[in-house]
Amino acid sequence: MVANYKKVNRGVTLTFWERIYVMEVMRGIIITGRHFIRNWVSTIRSYVSGNPADRGIPTIYYPEEKPLLPEAYRGRPMLVRAVDGKEKCVACGLCEVACPPKCITIVGAMRPDGTRYPETYTLDGAVCIFCGLCEEACPEEAIVMSPNYEGLAEYDRGLMLYDKEALLVPEEKLQGRLDYIRRRMFNKCNY
Amino acid sequence: MFDYTYLPAPNLIPSIVEMMLKIVFIFSMNMGVFAPLLGWVERKQSALMQDRIGANRAEIFGFTVFGLLHTVTDAIKLLTKEDFIPRGADRPLHYLAPFIAVVPSLVAFAVIPFGGKYMLWGHEVNLVIADLNVGMLYVFAVASLATYGAVIAGWASNNSWSMLGSMRVGAQMLSYEVAMGLTLVGIFMVYGSLQLTTIGMAQENFFHWGIFLQPLGFILFIACALAENKRTPFDMPEAESELIAGYFTEYSGLKFAMFWMAEFLEMVTIAAVLVALFFGGWHIPFITHQGLIAAMGYLFGANFGAIAAMIIHVAVFWLKVVVWIMILMLIRWSLPRFRFDQVMKLGWKIVLPLALANIFITGLVLLAVR
Repeated sequence: MVANYKKVNRGVTLTFWERIYVMEVMRGIIITGRHFIRNWVSTIRSYVSGNPADRGIPTIYYPEEKPLLPEAYRGRPMLVRAVDGKEKCVACGLCEVACPPKCITIVGAMRPDGTRYPETYTLDGAVCIFCGLCEEACPEEAIVMSPNYEGLAEYDRGLMLYDKEALLVPEEKLQGRLDYIRRRMFNKCNY
Repeated sequence: MFDYTYLPAPNLIPSIVEMMLKIVFIFSMNMGVFAPLLGWVERKQSALMQDRIGANRAEIFGFTVFGLLHTVTDAIKLLTKEDFIPRGADRPLHYLAPFIAVVPSLVAFAVIPFGGKYMLWGHEVNLVIADLNVGMLYVFAVASLATYGAVIAGWASNNSWSMLGSMRVGAQMLSYEVAMGLTLVGIFMVYGSLQLTTIGMAQENFFHWGIFLQPLGFILFIACALAENKRTPFDMPEAESELIAGYFTEYSGLKFAMFWMAEFLEMVTIAAVLVALFFGGWHIPFITHQGLIAAMGYLFGANFGAIAAMIIHVAVFWLKVVVWIMILMLIRWSLPRFRFDQVMKLGWKIVLPLALANIFITGLVLLAVR
């Protein structure tokens, strides 16, 4: 016998059927087999129907299939172009102040009718941390986070300086996100 | 006295043609269908079991064919890979080992019947390559030869991990050979023969299948067969988390592929033996052998009816084999690996006594029945 022999109680007590092991093996095989057959049938069903959602497996064939993102997803920030073709932004500079890494640079100007607009609006994609604070700070709902997560990486940081034209997106394309932030705003009133 | 029934019948030329066709059929089923396809089946099945998709990226002109092309890319990769032999390795033995591993799993199929006896134009076709009267004994003998492949591979590689792996193969195979032989003694007692065609014919009645007559023997045989196959839960010899790849650590290219193929072919052989001994061989439940031939003969005429019955029986046999291969894969992907002492304990302290008890009980029941 070993000198410092110590019996460790692992708190595991097996029943008779668990000790036999054959029944437990069968139970395990039934579980894995159930997964196998269910996924097999659903895979064949998705091949027949052509609908990837029928597959029942969480994996997405990425470049061919894109995930359906929720409205709450924070991708690249976008400026909203109003229905009349003008930018909603009034160059107040609140997003510039709210931005934690200071990636937004705005030069404001005045239109002949007296409304303000950003002459240049530069957002450095290499610095942006996708926090969404610019969106929360904006009083005009002029800058919102978009579900755009692709094509954000470049080999040159200069290419990641998005100017106004690169950021402007028509309002109807961002309608889902705009609805979402309005909903969120009203929820905040309930605090 | 030696029984010469497995020698060709006096009608020489049809017999030789029949023999060649049977050998070509079995060889092409094993090497052409199962050896390449089982890699794909294993990938896809394990993926589906774990809620994954599995291999699907290899494509020709945009067609992925459910990932089947991965077998082609595998073959190209293994063919073009460097055939590496480590310094200090025993070169002749290093070359020989994969062949010793792969040949037994191929030739073990010689005695397994994949169909019954059929009369075609006055010539009797017996769908088994060699109808040995010591059938299962031959399978045991050949299966234990495969051990030499693994042991020699580990010895010749000049690598500690390989050596450890091959030592484990030696110990494990030795333990389970003994138990495996004894588990099937019950079957031989029940059917009164070692000849696999005789055992196959005796299972014509659905309730005389081996699984109903020898349930304990069946469970014990599956445990032993999994251990012989060296796959999880008994993959001590190639435990990749402990021994890199075990006895074939130092193999690459086609020689590695041969070990891989040997594993899959062994699985096919095990499935075929299981079907032949426990699951009625080529028989369809509740339909007798002669009954199907008569029914087909009524539909297509005597000779073509026999051919139709033959095709149905062969298809049924391979269907059962495929189902059993899938069950073996389910077991392989469901269970964790045993510790080595657990493997030895299971072999010597549990399976062996239970096999002896099984023989004893079978003997008592046979005495009582007769």
